[in-house]
Amino acid sequence: MEFETGRSPAIQITPRQRWSIALSYLVIIIGLLLGMNQRDSFLNQTSAYNNVEAGITASYPARWLLDESDSNIFRVRDMSHRGFNTVIEVSSLPVSSDSAERNLLDRLSIQRAQVLIDYTILGYGTYSLPDETQAVTMSYSFVSRDASPFLEGLSSIVNGLDILTVRRGQALVISFRADSNIFQRELQTLTTFVDNLQF
Amino acid sequence: MAQQTQNRAEIYAFRPVWRRISLQLAILSLIAGIFVLANEVLLLRLDAAVSRLVSIVLVFVPGLLWLLLSVLPEYRFSRPRRRLIGVAVVSGLTASAIGLPLVEAFFIVERWLPLQSVFARIIGYTFTVGIVDVGLKFVVLRYLIYPGGLRVRSDAIAYAFAGAVGYSFYLNLVHVWRLDPVWDVAAIYVLANVTIQFASSLFIALGLVESYFGDAFPLVLPTNLLLAAVAAGLVTALFPGLMSGVLSQAGNADRPLYGFAMLVASWALSLGIAYFLFTTSERREREAYGGRGDFDGI
Repeated sequence: MEFETGRSPAIQITPRQRWSIALSYLVIIIGLLLGMNQRDSFLNQTSAYNNVEAGITASYPARWLLDESDSNIFRVRDMSHRGFNTVIEVSSLPVSSDSAERNLLDRLSIQRAQVLIDYTILGYGTYSLPDETQAVTMSYSFVSRDASPFLEGLSSIVNGLDILTVRRGQALVISFRADSNIFQRELQTLTTFVDNLQF
Repeated sequence: MAQQTQNRAEIYAFRPVWRRISLQLAILSLIAGIFVLANEVLLLRLDAAVSRLVSIVLVFVPGLLWLLLSVLPEYRFSRPRRRLIGVAVVSGLTASAIGLPLVEAFFIVERWLPLQSVFARIIGYTFTVGIVDVGLKFVVLRYLIYPGGLRVRSDAIAYAFAGAVGYSFYLNLVHVWRLDPVWDVAAIYVLANVTIQFASSLFIALGLVESYFGDAFPLVLPTNLLLAAVAAGLVTALFPGLMSGVLSQAGNADRPLYGFAMLVASWALSLGIAYFLFTTSERREREAYGGRGDFDGI
């Protein structure tokens, strides 16, 4: 058997020990603050997007994937998220002089109802743009399913928000879509995106 | 005088912790190793339900080993470490109530850390996962055993290991329950969480030992906490990279053998470093007090 000599527990700790405990708490707090700072700097890191043809300048989250397809001016997706990838899509619609913004949103809804599963409009509202003009919004939901029926997995409910504004004879639609479980949290990304959007 | 010292030593007879801890980690590694080899080499495949059951049973293995090899032997002695179970339970509860929610919901590390460079991942995990785990385990030890529960240096090691077992139990349970990995990967996850918590707990314990028994300079304990967070960050950052295979056109497969080897090397290295620092410090102090014939101060 091995023995270790011991001492009775001290009734009070020494001033040095008191200091070391206080400094330990300080190190933990500073460490947590550094962690928060790192998180914010990584999450808020942005990349610049510039489209001279459409007259749009934007900054989007750096870790998101940029995609410029024919149907949109551009879209960015958060590919790191499991399930439905959060997406911000910017597209333009042709408008005539007598087109109301509501009509444009209805046209979008008709198109989406044909391709999206269980597409449902949740409501309309307004959104204050950085230049203090009011844009109209439409929130909706639909069910997202994997393209291949052979892939195992549950469908996700997706919430969407369209922000539509008409300028210089052109309607610009900013569509934001995210899994309903994280939609509220991800809205902050949309707010930051819109705040930095110039067109 | 010699008889008196001998009697005093017998009163404070405590089970040596190092051997017990090494044995538990070796057994756990052996179990994980057998599971990995059974799947990788013998190509043993289990039914999904059996695999899940085996994975869940694995979560309890570190706790059971600890109860059998560390807690029960204590009660053969007149003065056992009575707060071991309390430290483990409270550590597990803090992981459940604060640790994991803070890492997942507040720091949301999954969204930004896994895609960073290795260096950024090490720093990132150190100041998120590492500092949260270390901070909580330190607070538990501070309020449950410091200074009342510390009679000899090895008490700090024993209690810190109890904290690691309790804390890692909850993390293991959540990971295995939620991710539902195949049984050999579950064994690696369990070994990984125990190794990460063990490595960081050892540095916390060394800090407590130096602070309390050596009345060390006030920066020693905070420095040890920082090292503990770095140890946790290092293993957390490097382990997934070794576990995942190289991405190719055929996809990528897990490499549990690499992960297993890295984890065994990690806990062995932590144990070796901590044991060396512990014995060196103990010897230095024994010599200092021994010179005056006062062993009671150790």
